Amino acid sequence: MSNEIDETMKRIQTHKGVVGTIVVNSEGIAIKSTLDNTTTVQYAVPYADKARSVVRDLDPSNDLTFLRIRSKKHEIMVAPDKEFILIVVQNPTD
Amino acid sequence: MSDRRAELERKKAKLQALREEKDRRRREKELKDVEEATNRTILGGGGDRKELDELLREVGVAPMSDVLSSISSANSITPEQSRNHTPDTSLQPNSLPNNVIAVRKKVPQLSVVAVQSTNIPPKEVVTYTKQTQTTNTGHDVRDVLTYDDGQGEDEEGSLPHLGGFGSKLPPGILPHGLPQVKEVQPAVTAVEQEQKKEEVKEVRELSEEEKQMIILSEEFQHFMDRAGRVMERALCESVDIYADYTGCLGEEGLDEKSHQRISFNRHFFDERWSRNRTVTSLDWSPQFPELLLASYNNNEESPNDPDGVVLVWNTKFKKTTPEYIFHCQSAVLSTTFARFHPNLILGGTYSGQIVLWDNRVQKRTPIQRTPLSASAHTHPVYCMSVVGTQNAHNLISISTDGRLCSWSLDMLGQPQEILDLHRMQSKPVAVTCLDFPHSDVNNFVVGSEEGAAYSACRHGAKAGITDTYDGHQGPVTGVSVNSVQGGIDFSHMFLTSSIDWTIKLWSLKDSKPIYSFEDNGDYVLDVKWSPTHPALFAAVDGSGRLDLWNLNQDTEVPAASITVEGSPALNKVSWTPSGLHVTVGDNQGKIWVYDVAENFAHPRHDEWNKFLYTTQELRNNQVDEELEKLNYSVSSTSLTSMSSLTSTPLR
Repeated sequence: MSNEIDETMKRIQTHKGVVGTIVVNSEGIAIKSTLDNTTTVQYAVPYADKARSVVRDLDPSNDLTFLRIRSKKHEIMVAPDKEFILIVVQNPTD
Repeated sequence: MSDRRAELERKKAKLQALREEKDRRRREKELKDVEEATNRTILGGGGDRKELDELLREVGVAPMSDVLSSISSANSITPEQSRNHTPDTSLQPNSLPNNVIAVRKKVPQLSVVAVQSTNIPPKEVVTYTKQTQTTNTGHDVRDVLTYDDGQGEDEEGSLPHLGGFGSKLPPGILPHGLPQVKEVQPAVTAVEQEQKKEEVKEVRELSEEEKQMIILSEEFQHFMDRAGRVMERALCESVDIYADYTGCLGEEGLDEKSHQRISFNRHFFDERWSRNRTVTSLDWSPQFPELLLASYNNNEESPNDPDGVVLVWNTKFKKTTPEYIFHCQSAVLSTTFARFHPNLILGGTYSGQIVLWDNRVQKRTPIQRTPLSASAHTHPVYCMSVVGTQNAHNLISISTDGRLCSWSLDMLGQPQEILDLHRMQSKPVAVTCLDFPHSDVNNFVVGSEEGAAYSACRHGAKAGITDTYDGHQGPVTGVSVNSVQGGIDFSHMFLTSSIDWTIKLWSLKDSKPIYSFEDNGDYVLDVKWSPTHPALFAAVDGSGRLDLWNLNQDTEVPAASITVEGSPALNKVSWTPSGLHVTVGDNQGKIWVYDVAENFAHPRHDEWNKFLYTTQELRNNQVDEELEKLNYSVSSTSLTSMSSLTSTPLR
């Protein structure tokens, strides 16, 4: 089964423009990452918590499902879940 | 005398003070260049005084003291004298020595002040404690607010803070306002804090084993499945949201495209799962029209991979990877979405087993399979279909030994019905393809390896083959019944494609083909009516050609034709339910999606009548041809008979 996870990671990673793929748990600790340790830690900031609290504050019955952060150089895409968060950093200009 | 001596002593002290003062000044004035001149004069004066002093010392002091002491002992000195004396000696520096004395007198006083200043540091300590208090009061305010909210969770969450805050305070200072809380809490906070610390430690360490544990957990796999899917879709969204239309104008390519009747859109291919595998069947999801189901034959180049593969592709998103991957041990020759069960996918295999996959389950292997027994299929299942309604539907599968099985999806243990399709002399029909007319559950049309097509029915006294449509010279590869709903019902019209390079148009009412399309120069491997246009159909052949025929426009040549890149043999063709796209599966594992121009795919209101007219014309031509043939054959037979007649008498 774990090779299916690797397969998924690989599929995402081989997508053109993708710089890195990180899976973190709810505490923001990396479980899987294709980036080096320091970069991983830098990317593993709790974006999702912040965004989720905004969404929840606006409407308590609402919830965050996806988050895209677009910058000049990169796009950080965050797919949060209850216990884990998938973060993909891509270079949209490529 | 003693007064006198005291007086002298005072004078000496004054002199000493003066001298010290001078020394000090000298040092100061040596440093200061500006006041050099004045310094010199002062020094000069000082020098004179020094000399005087020295003279006094050398000459006067010792005797003077004696004298003075004697004098003082003899006569008391009047204050006037002492006053007169003092101005003489301390004429100029009178004020200074006084100051010096004053300073000297003040120095001990200053030391007393210093004691006071040592009292200041405690004041500073006090301010420090005040600082800590202010930070804590901030916490207090927040905690108090949560109390006001009166929520159990928040309360629990906030209490450890209070405890921590209380414990951090110096022992002397009590947290103001909340002593009771502090008394109540410590037991809870201790436990919770410990727990928190433990959690944090665990997380920070997170060894390889722990990671592996998480990775292998069901939850994580579910998460990866979901999130990976979403992420891939998001990644493939290549829409440039920063498109600026003010700069450049015109997408001229679009216009060009719309003029074409058929244009390439995209292709589906997976390096690992579809490479070198022939596409054996295509199906569209009834629930999600964007989902395309494709089954693949075995890959001879990788014997270790499973023989049968079924992939679900998504035409809505631009992602290039399959939505779902399923496989099984035997090559999958036919596949279909289980209508009315959006999660189930059925496959007919080379071994004869019917397999069932479920996309809600994490595993890619079938969750159910029918048994390999004489009561079911023991030959390859090339065709199957789910027919019926929501409450009464069956899976119909036919194997190449002519056995038709009808299954209930709730029980794949054994078929509900078995029907063996035989032609005359109880010879089994090697069925290669099957089609049901629209919303018919009883009657169907099959194509066979012998080159004949048959109509058959499942129920009734005459269950089995009802009619034979003989015409092809080779195995029939595809059969399609016209299923367009409209003014006129054409559900008796069906098409067959064959290895004999032809496509034939039939009516169920007629055992002879209405027309034979003979434009292809290779095996015609599949044919499909458009789901929206009554006179439009698509056909693919072994040379990589995809043809779209519009019988209302032309019956001699296809209305639109395109050769797939690389000209692979095209095994299957399928229309999207909208009729706007044609998908083609080739023998290398690629599925090609072509767009059909809207004006070409959508019928005009008169197409039905036109098609009726066209078929009538084709029939008439057929009759004419047959008549001609008949005439010719009649004439030829009469000739031969005549010749034979003439010849016989000779013998």
